[in-house]
Amino acid sequence: MVSGTVYGVVLNDSTSHAALGAAFSAPPYNKAPLAPVLYIKSRNCLTGNEAVVPLPTGIGDLEVAATIGLLIGRDASKVSAAKALDHIAAACLAFDLTEAHESFYRPSVRQRCRDSFLPIGAPVGFDAAIFDSEIQTQIDGVAAHSWRPSRLMRDPAQLIADVSAFMTLAAGDLLLIGLPHDAPRVRGAHVVRASAKGLSALSINLSPEQPS
Amino acid sequence: MKRARIWHAGAALWAEVIDRDSALRLPTGETIALEEADWLAPVTPGATIFALGLNYADHNKELGFKSKEPPLIFLKGPNTLVGHKGVTPRPADGNQMHPECELVAIIGAPAVRVSPENALAHVAGYTIACDYAIREYLENYYRPNFRVKNRDLTTPLGPWIVDAADIPDPQALRMTTTVNGAVVQNGSTADMVLDVAGLIAYLSETMTLLPGDMILTGTPQGVHFCAAGDAVICEIEGVGRLENHLIAEDTP
Repeated sequence: MVSGTVYGVVLNDSTSHAALGAAFSAPPYNKAPLAPVLYIKSRNCLTGNEAVVPLPTGIGDLEVAATIGLLIGRDASKVSAAKALDHIAAACLAFDLTEAHESFYRPSVRQRCRDSFLPIGAPVGFDAAIFDSEIQTQIDGVAAHSWRPSRLMRDPAQLIADVSAFMTLAAGDLLLIGLPHDAPRVRGAHVVRASAKGLSALSINLSPEQPS
Repeated sequence: MKRARIWHAGAALWAEVIDRDSALRLPTGETIALEEADWLAPVTPGATIFALGLNYADHNKELGFKSKEPPLIFLKGPNTLVGHKGVTPRPADGNQMHPECELVAIIGAPAVRVSPENALAHVAGYTIACDYAIREYLENYYRPNFRVKNRDLTTPLGPWIVDAADIPDPQALRMTTTVNGAVVQNGSTADMVLDVAGLIAYLSETMTLLPGDMILTGTPQGVHFCAAGDAVICEIEGVGRLENHLIAEDTP
């Protein structure tokens, strides 16, 4: 589904700012971030609904963050927040999987960009009502986590405006709107499912690799 | 062999560089003179673009960082790329904008957990990048952060791809950057902290590298701040010469 680049943002959950508070002023950060803290999920990460996600040996805790991905339909360059959502063609659920890590200092490519670490659900035509939905995660059929996009520091329109101020979000790109600070951490084999009103549900099978 | 990506008569094409780098042969068989080419960045659509920070010991010292394990890897979007003889916008408040000449290795075969000994067999070819950085915009989150390293058109790439077979030793190449004719970087790929083979082995430990993926392997010392109007040339022995011009960025 995604022909372009997948971009995501960390530290966009207001809960994370409350939790990290004093840490922002200390080394290595020294002050709170001004610009959105962005990352790329490389193409080897992409996988779909019902995928088996291999968990490499020795990986430790896996953070499973359910979020919404916005498929860009028209290039967005220096757009205003008022016009930003006009550039979105579709939306989907996504799991941004990463080896759990605490530091935001250096890019987390090694932890975040393993094969199959971005399952995405089927896209649906964009309707801004999805930003009022609760994003729910079940682990092995049991409710494990939920959050709402209203928790975001920069709402999707503001995020698109602030990102496109210095870089074009191109048609075909996917923008993940932010990750819940308290996303569940798991180890071992599990079935994990994300659902949200107005979006197609997404289910994955975490499968530890056997040591060779 | 050298391959270039050009714009010609309404289409983006790959062309072969021929006649001692004086002409290009188009897919139709037609040839054009090099001077007539409209150059595009020689990139496969969808390629993952890896970049290294702090991969030359002298540059690390210059910036006040010790060479550290593990390698500093970041990713770049394709919006950053601009072709040979292209134009890069320099923000009005970007007074600490400096070019960084880098050898780029392009993956030719899928690489999964390859050893350093087998790594270079996975390289299709090499090109040059100029990975401009704007130091004012640095923040200590996912550093180097996107506002520094992911701006539109700030990573010239080219002029062409040289086949790996024509570069038997990627660690023996002189590299220079000139700004308006003055040398500002003069180094060698021999000084990489982690060499091309080591980088491919390191990356492919945790992720599948796919054909077309590119690795910008870092830059030697020489932090020269540029101005709008500057002519910047990055040259790597055996690979080629990449030209770029800086213009003042329009403010919204």
